[in-house]
Amino acid sequence: MSLDVTQILLSAQSPDGSVRKHAEESLKQFQEQNLPSFLLSLSSELANNEKPEESRRLAGLILKNALDAKEQHRKNELFQRWLALDAGVKAQIKALLLQTLSSPVASARSTSSQAIAKIAGIEIPQKLWPELIASLLSNIHQVQPNVKQATLETLGYLCEEVSPEAVDQDQVNKILTAVVQGMNASEGNSEVRLAATRALYNALGFAQVNFSNDMERDYIMRVVCEATQSPEMKIRQAAFECLVAISSTYYDKLATYMQDIFNITAKAVRGDEESVALQAIEFWSSICDEEIDILDEYSSEFTADSDVPCYYFIKQALPALVPMLLETLLKQEDDQDLDEGAWNLAMAGGTCLGLVARTVGDDIVPLVMPFVEENITKSEWRQREAATYAFGSILEGPSADKLTPLVNVALNFMLSALVKDPNNHVKDTTAWTLGRIFEFLHGSALETAPVITSENCQQILTVLLQSMKDVPNVAEKACGALYFLAQGYVDAGSASPLTPFFQDIVQALLVTSHREDAGESRLRTAAYETLNEVVRCSTEETAPIVMQLVPVIMMELHQTLEAGKLSTDEKEKRSDLQGLLCGCLQVIIQKLGGMESTKFAFLQYADQMMDLFLRVFACRNATVHEEAMLSIGALAYAAGSNFAKYMAQFYQYLEMGLQNFEEYQVCAITVGVVGDLCRALEDKILPYCDGIMTQLLKDLSSNQLHRSVKPPIFSCFGDIALAIGENFEKYLIYAMPMLQSAADLSAHANAADDEMLDYTNQLRNGILEAYSGILQGFKSSPKTQLLMPYAPHILQFLDALYNGKDMDDSVMKTAIGVLGDLADTLGVHAGPLINQSTSSKQFLDECLSSDDPLVKESADWARIAISRAVSG
Amino acid sequence: MADGNNPAPPPAASPLQSHRYAIKSSAHNTAASRRREQAVAIGKERREALMRAKRVCRTPLSGSNESAIEDGDMVIDDEKEGLETRTAQAVQELKSSLSSQGKGAQKKKIEALRALRRLLSQSEVPPIEVAIKAGAVPLLVQFLSFGSSDEQLLETAWCLTNIAAGQPEETKTLLPALPLLIAHLGEKSSTLVAEQCAWAVGNVAGEGSDLRSTLLAQGALLPLARLMLSNKGSTARTAAWALSNLIKGPDPKAVNELIKIEGVLNAIIRDLEKADEELATEVAWVVVYLSALSEKAISLIVRSHVPQLLIARLLASENLQLLIPVLRGLGNLVAGDGYMVDSVLIVGHSITDQALSSLIKCLKSDNRVLRKEASWALSNIAAGSFEHKKLIFTSEATPLLIHLLTSAQFDIRKEAAYTLGNLCVVSAGSTDPPNIITEHLASIINGGALPGFVNLVRSADIESARLGLQFLELVMRGYPNGQGPALVERQDGIDAMERFQFHENEAMRNMANGLVDKYFGEDYGLE
Repeated sequence: MSLDVTQILLSAQSPDGSVRKHAEESLKQFQEQNLPSFLLSLSSELANNEKPEESRRLAGLILKNALDAKEQHRKNELFQRWLALDAGVKAQIKALLLQTLSSPVASARSTSSQAIAKIAGIEIPQKLWPELIASLLSNIHQVQPNVKQATLETLGYLCEEVSPEAVDQDQVNKILTAVVQGMNASEGNSEVRLAATRALYNALGFAQVNFSNDMERDYIMRVVCEATQSPEMKIRQAAFECLVAISSTYYDKLATYMQDIFNITAKAVRGDEESVALQAIEFWSSICDEEIDILDEYSSEFTADSDVPCYYFIKQALPALVPMLLETLLKQEDDQDLDEGAWNLAMAGGTCLGLVARTVGDDIVPLVMPFVEENITKSEWRQREAATYAFGSILEGPSADKLTPLVNVALNFMLSALVKDPNNHVKDTTAWTLGRIFEFLHGSALETAPVITSENCQQILTVLLQSMKDVPNVAEKACGALYFLAQGYVDAGSASPLTPFFQDIVQALLVTSHREDAGESRLRTAAYETLNEVVRCSTEETAPIVMQLVPVIMMELHQTLEAGKLSTDEKEKRSDLQGLLCGCLQVIIQKLGGMESTKFAFLQYADQMMDLFLRVFACRNATVHEEAMLSIGALAYAAGSNFAKYMAQFYQYLEMGLQNFEEYQVCAITVGVVGDLCRALEDKILPYCDGIMTQLLKDLSSNQLHRSVKPPIFSCFGDIALAIGENFEKYLIYAMPMLQSAADLSAHANAADDEMLDYTNQLRNGILEAYSGILQGFKSSPKTQLLMPYAPHILQFLDALYNGKDMDDSVMKTAIGVLGDLADTLGVHAGPLINQSTSSKQFLDECLSSDDPLVKESADWARIAISRAVSG
Repeated sequence: MADGNNPAPPPAASPLQSHRYAIKSSAHNTAASRRREQAVAIGKERREALMRAKRVCRTPLSGSNESAIEDGDMVIDDEKEGLETRTAQAVQELKSSLSSQGKGAQKKKIEALRALRRLLSQSEVPPIEVAIKAGAVPLLVQFLSFGSSDEQLLETAWCLTNIAAGQPEETKTLLPALPLLIAHLGEKSSTLVAEQCAWAVGNVAGEGSDLRSTLLAQGALLPLARLMLSNKGSTARTAAWALSNLIKGPDPKAVNELIKIEGVLNAIIRDLEKADEELATEVAWVVVYLSALSEKAISLIVRSHVPQLLIARLLASENLQLLIPVLRGLGNLVAGDGYMVDSVLIVGHSITDQALSSLIKCLKSDNRVLRKEASWALSNIAAGSFEHKKLIFTSEATPLLIHLLTSAQFDIRKEAAYTLGNLCVVSAGSTDPPNIITEHLASIINGGALPGFVNLVRSADIESARLGLQFLELVMRGYPNGQGPALVERQDGIDAMERFQFHENEAMRNMANGLVDKYFGEDYGLE
C-alpha cells in the first residue's frame, strides 16, 4: 500500500482546516476504492503498538463507525456490507482487534473493545463468531490487569450490542461469573473492578435466570452492595448505577435487600460525592416509577391486575426516606435557575419527593408540612426556597381534600413572596409552585371547594402580570403559572373570571414576548405558549380581542420574512420565532374558525395568512416547517372547499412533508394535514390524490419510517376514500393488500408489553378506520361490488379481534362500525358472509349492551344495517 | 467522515449520561407538544363525526298502502349520474308544482313529492347531497305547512326522514324543518303522518347531543311521549325508539320530565303486556334510560306493574335483543330502590319465584352480558332478608353461582361472590359482625366454593380481595366443628392471606394479619 495511513489519520485531526479536509478526502477515497483493504489497514494501525496513540484511536473509531449507524436503514446497510466481506479479511480484522485488547495503551484497548462488540452485534445473532465469548473468557484468567480490564470492558459492550436471546444460558452464566468475580472486593486492581462493575450494568439484562435463583441473586446483590462502598468514587457510582438498573429490571426480587439498600443509599446521599449521591437518589426515583406503574394497573378498570405485585417499598421506607430527601433540598447551587440543563442534589431530591408523593398520596403530607412551616419564613434564602420547593413537589398525588386547606393558607403567602421576596431563586420556585397549584387544584374537574375563586382570581392575576416584568427566569415561571390558571377555566364558559381582564392579559404577554431579554430562560417561548393557552381557553365574549390579535401576529410573522441575508445561527433563531408565531396562528384559527359568529370575518384574512405560510415554507430548502404545516391544516378545515385555490402552490410542500422520513413527526403531522384537506376539499382533492397516495404507499413500505406514523397513514386512506368516494377504485389494488397484511399482523400480534399492545391497538384502529372510510366512500356508488372480494377478509379480521380479547374500547367502537358499514354498503350480498362469520353476532350483542354510549350507538346502527343485509 | 473531527469519546463513559426530567420544569416544555396532540385529537374527532353512521329509512312503514306496489316500479337504473340528474330534476318539479294552480295542482304536488321520495329511498344510492344542493329542504318545509293533506305530509316527512339519515352535515340542514316536524307529531295529525315525523325526529336525535338539545328545546319530548301512548303497535314502537334516542342523556333532565308526563308509565305497562317483541324491546330501552338516570322514575316504576312485566318477559322470551334491555332495566330497579326487594319481591309471592327462575335462566345463558347482569341483580336480592337468602340458597342458583365463581370472567366472579357471601350471613344490627347462617355456609363450602374465594383474596382488585377475606373469616369462625381453619389451609388460604402482610391498605393488612394470627397462631395444629 502506497498510502501512509498513519500520516493521513494524524492529518485528519490537524487544527489546520485545509490539511484536515484533504486528509478526510483521502480516507474517503481509500474507503470507496477498496473497502476490505481500508478496514484491514485501520485494524492494523489500531493493533500496532509502534504507532502514535492519536492515529490508533481514530483508526478504531472509523472502523467502529463503519459497522454501525444510529439510523435503522443505514445500520442495515452497514451490517450487510460487513457480512459480504471476504471471510479471510474478516478473520484478520477480528484477530487484530482481539490482539489489541492486550495493548499497553488504554485508549487503543478501549476503542478495540467497542469495535469487537459492534462486530459481535452483527455476527453473534447469525452464529458467525461462536468462539468469541470463549476466547474473551480465557483472557479473564490472565494475570495482566490491562488485559483483564479490556476484556471485561469488551464483555460489557458486547452485552449492550447483543440481545440476550442470542446467547446460550451456559455462556451467560460464564460471562456473569467472570464479571461478578471482577467486581469482587478481593480484586486488587481498581481499573479491573471498575470495568467489571460497568460491564455488569450491561449484563443485567442477561441475568433473568440468575436473578430467579436465590443463591446466585444473593451473591450478585452482595457484590454490588459491597462495590458501593469501594474507596474509588467511579466504582461507587457505577455500582449505584447497577442498583438503579436492578430496581427497574428486578423490582419483584428486591424485598429482602431493601433495608440494606436503604442504609447504603442514605449514607451516599448524606455524605458521598455528588455524582454518587445522585445515583443513590435515582434508585428511589426508579422504585417510585415501578410502583406508580403497578398501582396504575391495579386501578385500571380493564385489567385490575398486574403481573408484578406491589411490595409498597416506598410506603414502608417513608418515615426515613422523606427526611433524607428534604435534607437534599437545602443543597441548592447558586444560579441553578439560569441553567436549563442543571441537575444537582436538590433538583434530584425534589424530583424524587414528587414521585414519592405520587406513589403514596396523602401519607406524605404530614411528613413534609412541618419542614415547610419551619423553613418558609427563615432569613436564609436556601431555607425559604427549599420549603417552597418541597411544598410544590407534593402537590400531585395527595387528594384534593387533603391539600385544599393547606393551599388555601399558603396561597396568599406565595402571592406575597412572589412580589416581595428579595431572592430571585425563591421567587422562581414560588411562581413554579403557584403553577403547580393551578395545575392540580384548579379546574372544573375537581369536586372539592375551589381554591381559585372569582374573588382571589383578580389578585392572582395582578401578581402574575407584575411578575412577568421580573428577571427573565421568574417571568418565565409566572407565564407558566398563568398557563395553568387559564387552562383551569377551559370549561368555565362565560363564567370565566379571566374574561374581564382578557385584554390586559394578552397585552402583558405580547409585551413580555417583545422584551429585549426574552431570549433568556426561553421567556419568549413561554410567553407565546401561554398566549396560545389563554386564547384556546377563551370564551366567545372575548372573540373580538382575539380577532384584533390576528393582524398583530401576522405582522410579526411578516417581519421575520423581511430580514436580509442571515447567518446559519440567525436562520435558526428566525425559524424558531416563525414556529412560535405559526403555533399562535394555529390556535387562533381553531378558535375563530370554529365559532359561527367569527368564522366569516376571520376568513377575510385567509389569503394573506396562506401567503405568509407559503413564504415560511420557502425559507427552507429541503424540509418543511412543522408548525406552519399544522396551521395550514387548521386553516384548511376552517376554509372548507375554498381552500382549493391554495392547493396548486401548497402541494409541493405537502409532498415534501410526506417524504420526510428522518423527522418522522413532520411526516406524521403532514399525514394529519392530508386528513384535514380531505374533509375540507372533499372531491376537489382528487387531482392531488395520485401524488398523495403514491407517497403514502411509499411511506408504508419503508423501513426507514418510524412505526408510529403507520397507523395515521391507514386512517388517512379512509379520509381520502371518504372524500373521493368511488374514485378510490384505482387505489384499491394497492391499498387493500397492504391493509390485509397489516391486519393479519395486528390481529395475531403477540403483544409482549403494554407499549406493544397500545401500538397494536393504534394500528388496528387505523386499519379499521381505513376500511370504514373505504366502505362508506363507496356507499353512494354503483361500484360497491368491487369491494366484495375483500369482504371475507374484513370479517375474518373482525372475528380475530373479537376472539383475541385484547382490543381496547376505541378499537371496539371502530370495529363494530366497520361491521355495520360492511352490511350497509354491500347490503344483501354481505348477508351470507355475515351469517357465516363465527363471532359477528356475539360481538354485536356485546357492543349493544356496552356501557359506553358511543359503542352502543355504533352497535345500534350496525344491528339495523345487518338485519337488513341478512333478511335481504 | 464527520466523526473524524471529534476526539474519541472518553473510554467507557458512564452508561447513564442523561438524567430524568426535573420536576421543576417549565410549562412551555410540554405546551407545544400538548398543542400538537390537541390538533391530532381534533382531526380524529372530525373523522369520527364524519363516519358516524346512521340509520337509513328505506322500507315503507307497515300500514302504508304503498308497500305492496312499491317494489314493482322501483328505480332500477344504477347509474349514479343519471340518478343525480333525475334527483335535481325532481327537486325542480317539486318547485314548479308549488306554484301550479287550480285543478290537478294537488295531484301534481303529490306526484313530484313521491318521485323525490322514491329517489331518496334508493337502496344503494340515496342522492341526499344532490337533493340538498338543489334546494330540497326549504321546499319540503313549505310542503309541511299546516292544512296540507295527509298524503302530502306523509310523503314530505318520508323525504325528510331519508335526508336525516344522511351524513351529519346533511342532517343538520334539516334544522329549519324541525319545528314543523315536531308540530306534526301532535294529536291533530293522522297516525301515519305522526309516525313518519317521529321517525325523522328519531334519526335527527340519533345524530348527537347537540341536535338532541335542540329537539328538546323545541319541545319534541311531550308529543313523542303522547305518541307512545298510541294503541297502534308500529306507532308506539317508532315513538319509543325515537324517545330512547332523545333521552339518552347524559343530562337527566329529559328523563325527569318524561316520567312526569301523564300516561307514560301506563303506556309502558300496556306495551310490555303486548306480545309484540319489537315493541317491547324499544319500550324496555326507554325503561333502561329512565331507571339509569332518574331516582324519581325508579321510585314510580317499582311501585307499578312494570317489575312484574319485566320478570315475565325475561322468563318467556329467548330473543336476546329483548332480554338485554329487560334484564338491564330490572337490575337498575333492584339496585336503585330497596322497595323492590322489601316490598315487591316478597318471599312466598309467585312474582319472587318467577324473578328467581328468570335470573337463573340468565345465569345459564351463553351470553356474557346476561350472566353478568343476572349475577348483579341476584346479589342485590341476596342482600335482603333471611327468607330471601333461604329462597335463593335452596334454588338452582347456588350451584350455578359456585360454578361462575370458579370459572367465569373476573367481573362475573365478583358478582357471584357477592351473592354467595350475602347468602351466608344475616345482619345482626349496625355494630355487631353479621351472624353466620351455618347451614348455608357449610353447604356452599361443601359445594366447592372455597377455592374460588381464595382466588379472590389473591386478586389485585381490593374490593374483590376484601370480599374474599371476609368470606374466609366466615369460614374459619363459623364452619361447623371448628374445621374452618383446616379447610382454608388446605386451599392455600394462609398463603393467600399472607400476601397482605405489607399491604398498603391498613384495614386489609390488619384484617389479614389478624385472621392469620387468630386462627393459625402458636396454638394452631397442637390439638
